[in-house]
Amino acid sequence: MSNKYNFDTLSLHAGQTPDSEYGSRAVPIHQTTSYVFRDTRHAAALYNMEVGGHLYSRISNPTVAVLEQRVAALDDAAAATATSSGMAALFSALLTICSSGDHIVASSQLYGANVNLLKYTLPRFGIHTTFVDPTNHDEIRAAITDTTKLFFSEIIGNPGLVILDVDKVAKICADAQIVFMVDGTFNTPYLMAPVKDGVNIIIHSLTKWMGGHGVAIGGIVVDGGNFDWGSTNKFPTISLPHYAMDGINFYEEFGPAAFTAKFRAEAMYNFGPSLAPMNAFHILQGLETLPLRMQRHMENTEKLLEFLSSHEQISWVRHPSLEEHPQSELAKKMLPKGAGSIITFGINGGRDAGRKFIETVTLSSHLANVGDAKTLVIHPASTTHSHIDSEAMISAGLTDDMIRLSVGLEDISDIIADFEQGLKAAKTVTR
Amino acid sequence: MNITLNGYSTYISTGGKVPDPNKTALIFLPGSGQTHLTFVLQTRFFAYDDYSVYAPDFPGHGLSEGNPLETIDEMAKWVAELMQVCELRSAIIIGHSQGCLVAMALAHTYSEHVEKLVLIAGALEIKVNDYLLDKSKTSLPQAIKMMTEWGHGKQGHFYTHPQPGHSLLGVGRELMMANVQNALYLDLNACNQFDASEYAKQLNLPVLCIVAENDKMTPIKLGYKLAETIADSSLVKIAQSGHMIPIEKPDEVNTAIKNFL
Repeated sequence: MSNKYNFDTLSLHAGQTPDSEYGSRAVPIHQTTSYVFRDTRHAAALYNMEVGGHLYSRISNPTVAVLEQRVAALDDAAAATATSSGMAALFSALLTICSSGDHIVASSQLYGANVNLLKYTLPRFGIHTTFVDPTNHDEIRAAITDTTKLFFSEIIGNPGLVILDVDKVAKICADAQIVFMVDGTFNTPYLMAPVKDGVNIIIHSLTKWMGGHGVAIGGIVVDGGNFDWGSTNKFPTISLPHYAMDGINFYEEFGPAAFTAKFRAEAMYNFGPSLAPMNAFHILQGLETLPLRMQRHMENTEKLLEFLSSHEQISWVRHPSLEEHPQSELAKKMLPKGAGSIITFGINGGRDAGRKFIETVTLSSHLANVGDAKTLVIHPASTTHSHIDSEAMISAGLTDDMIRLSVGLEDISDIIADFEQGLKAAKTVTR
Repeated sequence: MNITLNGYSTYISTGGKVPDPNKTALIFLPGSGQTHLTFVLQTRFFAYDDYSVYAPDFPGHGLSEGNPLETIDEMAKWVAELMQVCELRSAIIIGHSQGCLVAMALAHTYSEHVEKLVLIAGALEIKVNDYLLDKSKTSLPQAIKMMTEWGHGKQGHFYTHPQPGHSLLGVGRELMMANVQNALYLDLNACNQFDASEYAKQLNLPVLCIVAENDKMTPIKLGYKLAETIADSSLVKIAQSGHMIPIEKPDEVNTAIKNFL
């Protein structure tokens, strides 16, 4: 081979070649907890990270490894480790880097559970977060202190749909020698693979567009391999000897994959957020069609935006591709294939009209997920973001009348017809 | 571990164990633009298999300071000096690609310090095409992209790897990007200007040549020619691997080396 395969090919093949024994073309599901060692030396070598391979499915699993290598390929990264959920990925990644006394700077425009993890859970363990407006680069710069280890933000904020200027923030993080970690769930590697732009760690909820069919919960931590953990003394748990494996030094022994080596050796060992092989298989089936699905998601999003923007009952519509979005130019530059398939909007008549709309639509499903093949609607203020306080709700750009729409893959005329009948019912409330 | 060599801090991976002077020493020498990380699945394995392991980063590469060296003979001299600082009377030298040229130069010029050679993906001459050489000078990311894509076989391009979750192409790119700017160019240029034919003919020690079936950088026929030129040589062919055999097929490489040792 001389030339690298392209995205669509990698989404089908990366991480797997047909097995030599049976020639299985589909990825085999290795539904096993453990793996027979060849001999005692082999066992010791696996435990000691001398050789590659699998020893126990809490640490790694061949089916899960295909998924990890496929996502690493799609994100053009050095390595990836899959976890049982997107939240498990974020929590484990943060604790792979941070210890008590460390500080995080994070966007205020985050998914509700992300906010609560940073605002309430981690402070109990001595890790504190300053929330900033992700579009205010001076504020980001000013929030970084001597103990700051990383900046964290979603690339497309949920549900405020604020776009993070990755190039500019990458420069801020590089200057401060801190890790630039993003949640790339809403963009997926299809719309943006940001390692080349200076992002160091990417978190994905695989439950969403990557899996794409709403059948399996999963997450992944992608390691760009582009952060020099030894360039400062800020990351001793990666750049200095580890407590296990004879004082292994991940930085020296694994170089660009140091973070992933430590993640595997500590987070997977000690926290155990492993992804079930069956779920990895389901997500892999979804990944095979990620490029096709994302194209259709984008086409339907564009058509639905046209419909909503011109409808008399719609009081406002937000999507980064709309000219009235303050970052539409940035979105075009950063996300030329589309700025995601989440639309938020309000209906004349406010919260009550919105409730009527959600209860009346029949094709669109009312549920707590995004990125499904099917069209989904929800009222974030009373559901996904109901556990965050009112201050955080305002910071996240969340209004009481907001409806969050995850555009699916159905025939667009059917989605529009469904919305028309929902809006018709909502009109009765408006009156 | 770090030592000071010619006034510069020099990193040597010892596979996580302090070298023991009573054990057989293995010195791993990487290829152009590469570092000790080429041997990530050899260093720890052999260190815990009762060998003393030394996988140095050449000056300006990986974790070593200093300016990259400009000729293969200079690199061989540098390794001899490193052995002296480490108080190594002799060692088995394991080279990959450019590291094979350095290993042969070392065995020729400092023969008393070399017990055996393992030459992985080696050749008598490693000629570099002008386009790559130029890009290594004028557009490093492009040169690195070309090398990582040409350097890995089918396994790398399908992103399968024995280390779960690791990408051969991604790690390969980032480790090369971590060197000083002119390291790759000077390495490739050093290879381009060196001919090991005379050294190889005069080698008078056991040599194992490990060649890869799908090597595009030093094609397998060059590996066969190398083995044929060396009097006391044996050859192991690794199937379904590109040029980066130590990380593409670590188990097969480790087994071949162990059998040879």
